[in-house]
Amino acid sequence: MTQDAIIVENLSYHYGKILAVDNISFKVAQQEILGFLGPNGAGKSTTVKVLTGQLRLQEGNVTLLGMDITENIERVQARMGVCFEQPNLYEQMTALENLELFARLFNMKTFDGYALLKKVGLEGREKDRVANYSKGMKQRLMVARSLVNQAEILFLDEPTSGLDPVSADSIRSLILQERERGATIFLTTHDMWEADKLCDRVAFLNQGKIAALDTPHTLKQQYGQRSLIVEISKDGQLEERTVTLDKSDTPDVVRDLFSHEKVVTVHSQEATLEDIFLKVTGRRLTV
Amino acid sequence: MNADLIMTLIKKDLTLFTRNKFYFILTIVALLSYILIYFIMPKTMDETLKLGIYAPGIPTMENSLINEQGIEAKSFATLEGLQEAVIKDEYPVAIALPEDFFTKLAKGEKPIISVYFNASTPEEMKGAITALVNQLAYLATGQETPLEIQSEVLGPDLLGAQIPWRDRLIPMMAILILGIEILSLASIISTEVEQDTIRALLVTPLKLHHLFTAKAILGIGLAFIQVLLFMLVIGGLSHEPLTMILGLFMGSILVTGLGFLVASLSRDMMGVTTWGMIITIIFFIPALGSLIPGMLSGWAKVLPSYHLTDTISRLSNYGASFSDISVNFIIMLGWSAVFAVAGITTLGRRYR
Repeated sequence: MTQDAIIVENLSYHYGKILAVDNISFKVAQQEILGFLGPNGAGKSTTVKVLTGQLRLQEGNVTLLGMDITENIERVQARMGVCFEQPNLYEQMTALENLELFARLFNMKTFDGYALLKKVGLEGREKDRVANYSKGMKQRLMVARSLVNQAEILFLDEPTSGLDPVSADSIRSLILQERERGATIFLTTHDMWEADKLCDRVAFLNQGKIAALDTPHTLKQQYGQRSLIVEISKDGQLEERTVTLDKSDTPDVVRDLFSHEKVVTVHSQEATLEDIFLKVTGRRLTV
Repeated sequence: MNADLIMTLIKKDLTLFTRNKFYFILTIVALLSYILIYFIMPKTMDETLKLGIYAPGIPTMENSLINEQGIEAKSFATLEGLQEAVIKDEYPVAIALPEDFFTKLAKGEKPIISVYFNASTPEEMKGAITALVNQLAYLATGQETPLEIQSEVLGPDLLGAQIPWRDRLIPMMAILILGIEILSLASIISTEVEQDTIRALLVTPLKLHHLFTAKAILGIGLAFIQVLLFMLVIGGLSHEPLTMILGLFMGSILVTGLGFLVASLSRDMMGVTTWGMIITIIFFIPALGSLIPGMLSGWAKVLPSYHLTDTISRLSNYGASFSDISVNFIIMLGWSAVFAVAGITTLGRRYR
């Protein structure tokens, strides 16, 4: 039987009078990748901070790996990895020294820093000081650091932020490899395409509440509209028509277009998570 | 308490400390400079007594002293001129004989002789001057003469002794070495906060108490090793070595507490520089008193570093023993605890 790696029940968090997280509940199964999506100020970071023990739990229950975090946070932290959004590395130390430091803190008896750095594409730069790294290299090192202890739960906050497409893709592959290894992954991202491709399920967070939580496919089916974008030529000008699919009159509309208009191109269009987020929350994800 | 975690952190902080060129070079250069300054300062004092004289009724007084070994005498025309020379320390000791000196003697009365001391004149000199005045009276009258001697210190009094300048500098330099470590420790802590590496540490099995313990050990260690090295090189451990080592250790704890306080008051390196300068300047004030005894008023005793300065000064230069200064240890420990608790509590609140 697959046990849930993360169980959150009725979690709320206040900063003084401001309610940052409002009574949210969700579960993440072992080896699942959950995407946590929301605009700035939606409560994503606060949720991650509570789950990782950076903030004290105020209301609700959080169970990670079968342990209540209020009583077992040290044991839980020994089995989790956290990748922060902003690089917080020891810049005057080398990449290898950074990783070895955390390996010692996690009491890893056998640790191969070179292999891990190779995994994130930093081979050959192991003994360079981090201060001399580019933003993308620092981001890759941040991901590597979160993998030092072969964590059972990974909290990854915007792990591909600031990376070039090739590097971002290698990090995505690494995330999938970690899932294959057995890790449960809690991913916060602004990248809808990334969430769609990587996540088993996504949660839309808005104003501290979970507005929707399901697989990307189900969300698209539930909230999205499939359509055809038809480009026609009229009096030497190109015009674009949108034909919504799944309606009773769709076949007639399509037939009319092809019979009476000069159709140049036809593209199918599926709803994106961005569209669905807008529909569910009334807000755009990227402000 | 997990010793492995703490050792890992100390090792990491030492690595970062040695790679922070500013503080590392400052530490080494400062230490070498203090040692150099100590050795180029005069080792002995000039023991020739410069004596000012105002004796309107006895014009031959100055001449009668010229042949006295170790005395450089000068006669002043006015009492005001004499007093000014004493205040300026051109003549650390001066005597003023009244115009009616002989008249009073003839009447069988005791003439009043005023003796003026500069604040920096050592205590034992004052006794010697009384004997000298009696000798001068004998020279002037040719017989044992009954005198009334009134002594007055011009400027703040000095409770010191005839101590060479290099030895007077010992407490000052020790305080400077220790004081710099307030900034070093605060900088190490503040960098951790500013670069947010502290958050990365705290999502591992490491906890705040491990972190603060490691920083405290590092702070005490850095301060203690440097000041101990300085004292070893200049021979500052020749008297009551164990008590001195204990005093230096207490001083290292004190600056570590202050380092935590500065770090807690600062959000970034600019804050460390600002608060650090303010606190270290206040910290150094009592050390000035060891250079110029009597300069400081009683209020200086409320400064925590007064007790550290007093400990080093009295052990180095005044032959004090453990029992003489043990109260200082208790007070220093108390202040250290206050600073460390205030700093750690404030810092800790940000991460709980």
